[in-house]
Amino acid sequence: MNRQQSTDGVSVLGGAETAIALPDPRSIAEMALNVVERALEDAELRWSDIDAVVTASVDLFDGLTASSIAVTEVVGAVMKPETRIAADGLAAAIQAVHQIAAGAYDTVLVVAHGKASMAHHWNLTSWAMDPIFLQPLGVDFLTVAGLQADLIAGSDSSIIRRWAELAAHRKRTARGGIGESFTIDEVLESPVIAAPIRVGMCAPLGDGACAVVLGAGGGETTGGRAVIAGTGHDLDSHHPGDRDLTEWAGLRRACLRAYDMAGITDPAVAFAVAEPSCLFPHEEALFIDAAGVGEQTVLSPDGGLFAGTAPAISGLGRLLRATKAVKGNSGHRALAHGTWGPAGQGQAVAVVEAR
Amino acid sequence: MDADRDLLSVSLEMDLEWRYASGESMERFLLGVGAGRLEAVRCGVCGRRYLPPRPFCGVCRVRLDDWVPVADAGTLEAWTVVHLPILDGRTGEMRPSPYGMGLIRLDGADTTLNHYLDTADPSRLTIGSRVRAVWREDRRGAMDDILHFEVLS
Repeated sequence: MNRQQSTDGVSVLGGAETAIALPDPRSIAEMALNVVERALEDAELRWSDIDAVVTASVDLFDGLTASSIAVTEVVGAVMKPETRIAADGLAAAIQAVHQIAAGAYDTVLVVAHGKASMAHHWNLTSWAMDPIFLQPLGVDFLTVAGLQADLIAGSDSSIIRRWAELAAHRKRTARGGIGESFTIDEVLESPVIAAPIRVGMCAPLGDGACAVVLGAGGGETTGGRAVIAGTGHDLDSHHPGDRDLTEWAGLRRACLRAYDMAGITDPAVAFAVAEPSCLFPHEEALFIDAAGVGEQTVLSPDGGLFAGTAPAISGLGRLLRATKAVKGNSGHRALAHGTWGPAGQGQAVAVVEAR
Repeated sequence: MDADRDLLSVSLEMDLEWRYASGESMERFLLGVGAGRLEAVRCGVCGRRYLPPRPFCGVCRVRLDDWVPVADAGTLEAWTVVHLPILDGRTGEMRPSPYGMGLIRLDGADTTLNHYLDTADPSRLTIGSRVRAVWREDRRGAMDDILHFEVLS
């Protein structure tokens, strides 16, 4: 198969996301309905135009198994083919891209939703860890992020200040988000949450929903298409101790697959904009290294996740931002990224190109 | 591996808590239940009266906001008596068994409601029986404000 042609016909037709709030008083279904209706409007499509639905959510975070049952009606999945992905929303979008590229459907709606306000998020992540070796020790995603940050910091005494500068910069850029605006000194003086990570360094978590419509063709009325030129995803070993935590090797592999598909040979000069899903400053260094983006690539022009994000939606929201970048003439090509699991175990990327 | 040998198992007890936002339609319904009042929401396209109410008709793909009153009596569409004790999510206690569970089509609704049945005399449980809600006196706006449904003579 010529992989370069395999996703070339798939475009982002429209999308919408809720403003992140903590809490959002609406039910999960109400939040999902809001973004689905607005995404359809953005794509200038009707409910009957949608052939299939892919949703992204995490049972543990939603407090019910098969958590897509909470949104079956509002995403229009009643009497339609629905696929549910228990991972980041960008992985759901990639599933939809492949469904369209395979010729199964013309138009697929992708919906991701998550509410961090429903429970203690980091505590819940402990239950996503191995039950024999890790759960009894109380290891959760935040603990592993702290270990990863510590490994990366090593003996570099100046890195903590650079992370504080980055977090403060991203939060200042993220106008209108739920994150408090921290100065560098405020970040450095904020409480340690998982050493060396401080509260001020974290992207704030809240409640959100995001919907994206993907389809074959597109652009007939808008005059330009945002094409998904390449996709890649990867799942690394679950045990953090099995991996080299100083790099995101899974993201490197995911990127190689996407770049191969998109015909990209030099990622350092390929992207005008990159939209990584980074919850902590140290993850941005991991992203830049693994994705191979260069200095000419603008990272997170809207502040990225530091404006606030919600479980399961981050990568799908990044896809919308990447689309906005190439449609808004910020450049020809953008990279969207999503991740899930402890210390970036799951990784997904999509290359978006203006045509 | 010796199939007769019990391997070591590790016991983990979970104590997790979530807070569910009820949403506008379910909030209105539950506030009504607390006041001893039942309401369904009607689809303006297909006319189906949904109980429990919901924000959206998944069949017609339209929002729902046409509220209609529903009686606390109706027809028993299906019933079973369960003999396996279950954990009651509201109390954390085991619910005594046997208990009756039914699908009840309340007068004024087109969908059926799941609820407990009075099983003092299981021989009275037949499909098509008329049943009525037995309400709790100290209501708090929850589905178990109705204790169970009893068969009308």
